[in-house]
Amino acid sequence: MDDIYKEELMDIYKNPARRGSLDDANASTSQSNPMCGDDISVQLKIEDGVVKDARFHGSACMVSIVSSEILLDYLVGKKLEEVKSISKEKLLEMLNLNLTTSRIGCATLSLGAVQKAVTEYEEK
Amino acid sequence: MNIEKIKKDFPILERKIGVNNLIYLDNTATTQKPVQVVDALKDYYFQHNANIHRGIHTLSEEASEMYDNARKTVAKFINAIYPEEIIFTRGTTESLNMAAFSWGIPNLKKGDVILLTGFEHHSNLIPWQIVAKSMGAGLKFVKTEPDGTIDMSEFKKALTPDVRLVCVAHASNVLGTVLDIKEISKMAHSVDALVCVDGAQAVPHMPVNVQGLGCDFYSFSGHKMLGPMGIGVLYVKKSVMGQMVPSQFGGGMIKEVSLTEASWAEAPEKFEAGTPDAAGAIGLAAAIDYLSALGMDKVREHEIAMSKYAIEKLTAIEGIKILGPLDPEKRTGLVSFYSEKVHAHDIASVLNSSGVAVRSGHHCAMPLHKELGLPATVRASYYIYNDFSDIDKLAEGVKKALTMLS
Repeated sequence: MDDIYKEELMDIYKNPARRGSLDDANASTSQSNPMCGDDISVQLKIEDGVVKDARFHGSACMVSIVSSEILLDYLVGKKLEEVKSISKEKLLEMLNLNLTTSRIGCATLSLGAVQKAVTEYEEK
Repeated sequence: MNIEKIKKDFPILERKIGVNNLIYLDNTATTQKPVQVVDALKDYYFQHNANIHRGIHTLSEEASEMYDNARKTVAKFINAIYPEEIIFTRGTTESLNMAAFSWGIPNLKKGDVILLTGFEHHSNLIPWQIVAKSMGAGLKFVKTEPDGTIDMSEFKKALTPDVRLVCVAHASNVLGTVLDIKEISKMAHSVDALVCVDGAQAVPHMPVNVQGLGCDFYSFSGHKMLGPMGIGVLYVKKSVMGQMVPSQFGGGMIKEVSLTEASWAEAPEKFEAGTPDAAGAIGLAAAIDYLSALGMDKVREHEIAMSKYAIEKLTAIEGIKILGPLDPEKRTGLVSFYSEKVHAHDIASVLNSSGVAVRSGHHCAMPLHKELGLPATVRASYYIYNDFSDIDKLAEGVKKALTMLS
């Protein structure tokens, strides 16, 4: 069995605490990966240049969901500068999964969405 | 058909994926290659390799003859009247692009309409979008019925006098639906529209007779029917070929060239600019010989039985929904399905961990998936080396994925 379906990740996949929506979000965007059909929307609440809260929703595979959860958990409390500087490699490191090329796109989908949301927020 | 005997011709089927035997169910994407096809390539490259129709030396003569014979083999396989009606291309995509640019540009004008279905593969949609846009022509789509079929009376209604061309898949690469091309050709010709068929998912799976179908263009790929990647076919009815102009230029397609102008060789050479993939054509002919020895009616029979079994097994799994007609006689060799709870990508990933290779995604048919409201589906597609035990492994893997992930 692929190690990506290990138990602790399955727990996150089945009950992602950050799945849902924010009523007071002030930055949001969505990203999709048409090749595999993943579609992730993220909502952020930003105050004084710091991410105060974050949620995601959408139709996505296990890798997308788990990485969204881990990423959003990580970035709450971080300054926008830090959020913008998170690299794909850093996220993959946090996920600690042995991913095939086709699934790296799933894993980094939420990062693209988050960084796009922050950039759009700053341009407002 | 003796599946066990056939399997022995495909060395890749002995491969392990992790600790499991490979169960290859992604034949709609590409099929595996038998020893006979790879041997034909080897024989060509090790014994006969030369540029065709260029030299008077022995190798060039041999290679040219082999290439010309491959064209005759293809013509006979789809029952074209003349070998000259066969243009070798890189694959279905290039064939359809050639139909669009070599026929569409000189023949379409403002106000003309191209009629398609809503389930065309991107390669039988985008070339027409581009050509229609540049010629001021329009695209019109016949709607897909809820069971994945096309209502022929709807087709007839859509065939208004402004329709100049009908572009349809012989068999859908997602729904599996097989269209009645003979009837479509009859209806289209009655309003003087031509018919261009994407046969990528039909030629590998059933007997195809272009004269019987009555279509004007017919495209398919070698690699989806045991042949090498990089070779394909555009059949054009002889009476229509005169309406086409070359869309690629260079060596091999000319009669005379001066510094300021050039004239073209006869068809099909004038549509095959540059050094052709002679090895590919010869490999395709070897694949055709292999399939012909089995008999395409037997191939079709086997796949109907496989579809029937796959539909039974998959519909028995709670939470799995199947796309396309449930009647196996109305489908080509594939079944696409989805779960409302588990993403297609995860199902495919869990299947892979059992050695089962399937495709997940939108299968190059984004408009269809949008219409169905599904971001992605799983597609299992079988061929001459698959049997019921492969479908059993598929069903087991799907059940496992649903148990693990929902």
